[in-house]
Amino acid sequence: MRKISFSEATREAMAEEMEKYPEVFVMGEDIARQGGIFGQFKGLPDEFPGRVIDTPISETFIVGGGVGAALAGTRPVVDMHFADFIGVAMDEVFNQMAKVRYMFGGQAKIPLVLRAPDGLAGGGAAQHSQSVESWFIHIPGIQVVAPSNPYDAKMVLKAAIESDDPVLYFENKVLYKEYAEVPEKEDEVPYQIGKARIEREGKDITIVSYSIGMKNARAAADRLLNDGIQAEIIDLITLSPWDKETVISSVKKTHRLCLVSECVKQGGALAEVAATVAEEALEYLDAPILRYGAPFTPIPFAPTLEKLYRVYPDDLVKGIKGVFQGTI
Amino acid sequence: MTVTISKDQAIKFYETMCTIRCFEESVKRDFLNGDIPGFVHLYIGEEAIGTGICAALRTTDYIESTHRGHGHCIAKGADINKMMAEVFGKRDGLCKGKGGSMHIADFSVGMLGANGVVGGGYNLATGAALANKTILKNDKVSVVFFGDGASNRGTFHEAANVAAVWKLPVIFVNEMNCWASTTPYRTTTSVEDISDRAIGYGMPRVIVDGQNVFEVYDAACDAVERARRGEGPTFIEAKTYRIEGHFVGDPEKYRKKEETLQIFNDTDPLKLFKDQCPDGIDFTQEELDMILTIARAKVQAAKEFAVSCDYPDESEFYKDVYVD
Amino acid sequence: MATEILMPKLGLTMTDGTIGEWNKDVGDFVKKGETLFTVETDKLTTDVEAESDGVLLRIDVPAGETVSCKTVIGWIGAYGESLSETDDKTPVSGQALLSKSAVIDTIQSKKAYDRTTGEYVLATPYAKKIAKEKGYDLMSVPGTGYNGVVVSKDVLNFKPLKAAPDSRSDISVKASPLSEKVAAELEIDLKDIKASHGRILAEDLLRYIAETHEKTSSYEPVREEIKPMSSMRKAIARNMLASVQTSPTVTFNLSVDMTEMKHYREQLKRVDINVSYTDLIVKFVAKALSEFPLLNCSVEDNKIIYKKYINVGVAVALENGLLVPNIADADKKSLPVISSEIKELAKLAREGKLPPEKLKGGTFTITNLGMYGIESFSPIINQPEVAIMGVNTIEDKVVVRNGEICIRPIMNLSLTADHRVVDGSLAAQFLHRVKNLLETPALILA
Repeated sequence: MRKISFSEATREAMAEEMEKYPEVFVMGEDIARQGGIFGQFKGLPDEFPGRVIDTPISETFIVGGGVGAALAGTRPVVDMHFADFIGVAMDEVFNQMAKVRYMFGGQAKIPLVLRAPDGLAGGGAAQHSQSVESWFIHIPGIQVVAPSNPYDAKMVLKAAIESDDPVLYFENKVLYKEYAEVPEKEDEVPYQIGKARIEREGKDITIVSYSIGMKNARAAADRLLNDGIQAEIIDLITLSPWDKETVISSVKKTHRLCLVSECVKQGGALAEVAATVAEEALEYLDAPILRYGAPFTPIPFAPTLEKLYRVYPDDLVKGIKGVFQGTI
Repeated sequence: MTVTISKDQAIKFYETMCTIRCFEESVKRDFLNGDIPGFVHLYIGEEAIGTGICAALRTTDYIESTHRGHGHCIAKGADINKMMAEVFGKRDGLCKGKGGSMHIADFSVGMLGANGVVGGGYNLATGAALANKTILKNDKVSVVFFGDGASNRGTFHEAANVAAVWKLPVIFVNEMNCWASTTPYRTTTSVEDISDRAIGYGMPRVIVDGQNVFEVYDAACDAVERARRGEGPTFIEAKTYRIEGHFVGDPEKYRKKEETLQIFNDTDPLKLFKDQCPDGIDFTQEELDMILTIARAKVQAAKEFAVSCDYPDESEFYKDVYVD
Repeated sequence: MATEILMPKLGLTMTDGTIGEWNKDVGDFVKKGETLFTVETDKLTTDVEAESDGVLLRIDVPAGETVSCKTVIGWIGAYGESLSETDDKTPVSGQALLSKSAVIDTIQSKKAYDRTTGEYVLATPYAKKIAKEKGYDLMSVPGTGYNGVVVSKDVLNFKPLKAAPDSRSDISVKASPLSEKVAAELEIDLKDIKASHGRILAEDLLRYIAETHEKTSSYEPVREEIKPMSSMRKAIARNMLASVQTSPTVTFNLSVDMTEMKHYREQLKRVDINVSYTDLIVKFVAKALSEFPLLNCSVEDNKIIYKKYINVGVAVALENGLLVPNIADADKKSLPVISSEIKELAKLAREGKLPPEKLKGGTFTITNLGMYGIESFSPIINQPEVAIMGVNTIEDKVVVRNGEICIRPIMNLSLTADHRVVDGSLAAQFLHRVKNLLETPALILA
């Protein structure tokens, strides 16, 4: 099977959707002439003239304009440059985009995709490295997705564009350069927003993650095999509304839960998973829920400090073994 | 006056203004009686603006409204029964009782919604204009209503710049009513005429008497024409005055009631209408009284309809968070 | 730091050994001096003790496999320690670790079990759920998790005092922690004990034990008891079965008149040479074997291996089994030497100090049941030999000599031979030659 990068996969998704739906267009900063700062829009302006639009540095317009365009009957995709900048357009995201449908009694559809490149990329520091997905899972009316590999990147983006509800699509900056197998278009299996995937079956502990956190989950699970611990890995893919059933039935099987993501641990996206498991499957838990995420600090610049901000597979391995050895 | 007006049109203007006036008076009464939940912001005294602007629009054109939006909604042609039901939070309201006064919308007549966030509408109207012009390639026009207070929001500047640079079919209608909630505009706003700000974006602007429906209509027609011709946005500043408090029940400690009443007495667009009518259009007081009486009756019927409706069923609660 | 376990060299000539069994599983805690595994060399099975405390981290050589001495057969280390990548031939099964960790954890967190009545039992929700389903009172379940928290495996591994049918009444029993603990260990149901001071104290428990001791001990005789085989028993069982499955055997019986041999033995006695009949038979059989090479061979893959040495094994009965040390080059040794060697070997065998090399290299075995009055039996060949001679009791019998009836000391010999190489006529000739020698001791000099 052919191997393409995450970035290329998102570009393919865009091209295929723009081909299929004339009402799909994309706007954002530096996407037409430059092709996106991560190359994720390369070539699209030539293929679809007038439908890839460079905007001024006006985030409230990028998001609010996207909402208006959706109200007018198009399927806009808007790009946030860096996820960190969503804050500039926060009202447009959580008061407009998220609520228009509900507060108008279902009169409106907002088929809008907000793309947000996130995560540590090395030296991005406090305002260019954040993973902010957890802000948005608190907002009803938005769907939040964060794929972990090129194939998902493509299929989730296509599903997002075809969804009649707004989608916040978090794409990790480090993952952009990752290559993996992506089937040809005719062999693709569509993604259904809201579905998690059991990436690896196991019986001893459930590791739930998404996006870049999946790298930690996979590495830790590999190493735990040496100790005879078979971890089940669930790629959440959609953070809101998330696939409660898959996670809970896995926990009922393994009786242990480990959560890992790159975002700040306090109030992190997976805190909701922990809370829900505690609410709905507490009696199946045979160990404290393990949770790994970033410390409660802004992201420092110095490499020596940034290093401390990251989660490593070692952390998971140590914790999970501790659970089995009765030290945690 | 550059646009010719028929008497039928003039009747329509007056009828609309009366409906708005009666609607607001009715809402005020029912709110003070405790029959309407939440809070309501009234359009009394500003009726000529919404009426004049919307008269220049087609049903398929869009407006983005504000928290003080009943007038815009009525002027754009929304069903007042359903509007009133919405204000009462009833199942048969325009938004099934989920939006209320501040979040009222009627997509069937191009009313894309009131916005509870001051300054929330610019980008939506501008985005709709962008979609219509460049993607859907139709000649629809978008209007965004906003007050002088909202003109201090950054969103105005982002939208105005985009609209101007891409020559989008959007009309910025500023209802310059002198008050941002409890704050007089002079203490918070750097310009005397809000439309001065349009100049910075290379956007044509016009200042009109917001108490004169004909003048407003005239300016709107010009702006709509420009927009449809692809010449871009226009800023219409309509000078008016907020007669009611910020919301019903506002004690209005920040201003003198007598002064407000004096201004209302001098500038009430319903009172001034007869004299503002262009040459060749004459109304008798009886004619005008009859129009007002009919409007009052219609609003009374709308109120009765709203009261008779049920509140939304609990099953409605989780509906429309998402499409599915 | 994990240390390796080596296949020991248990004697000068030992070059390889077979793991008889591992007495510990991977993940088990091992104490210094505890038997860790057994090594089998031919018929000898030796228990090998652990040289240090620790956890059996990995077994490299499973039971039944033979490896040369000093080969690494396993690893001992600290609990939870993992072996480095290069050592990772067969990784420790984590499940094995887990299933055993309860034991270690129990040792480490014994305190968790010493709960006082009414104390809140720390337990994971899942442990509570299972305990509820099983009707266990968590008060009595030892916790092995962090801080003594009861986790699911503690509940699953927990053996209630009695089948705990009514948890409600269990709760109503008030007892001191000590009496609870002792009762649990002795599997006594606290409900059966009368409390003298409101709640059951240790003294109540002791009284109960004293009162019920006789009753309980005389009740219901045990009709069956299952005990594991000792390593030696297992070796015997394995070897005997293997022999039967290897060799098609025929047993031949022939009576020997021991009159002359009795005289011969008495004559030797008179000159202070005290030898047993076994010693004598070894000497004379060795001579016969030197004349019958097919009785002194072994068979391997359609090949006959003729031994140019005669090592006569003598079966030594022990309390729990038997061993067959052999007299090397018995044909070349004098009777007194043979005699003293047999005595020494038997002594060592009974003391369990027999050097393994004494059990190797036998070419023929003699097994004497004469002292038990046995008249005839069919011994099983000690592989890889091809024949074994059973010696029976010497009994005065009425016989006919030169046409006259007389009474003579008669002994029956029972020779079992492997028909793959020893045909009936050959067996008969050999047996007659032994008879001939035993009846005419002077021939030993011929």
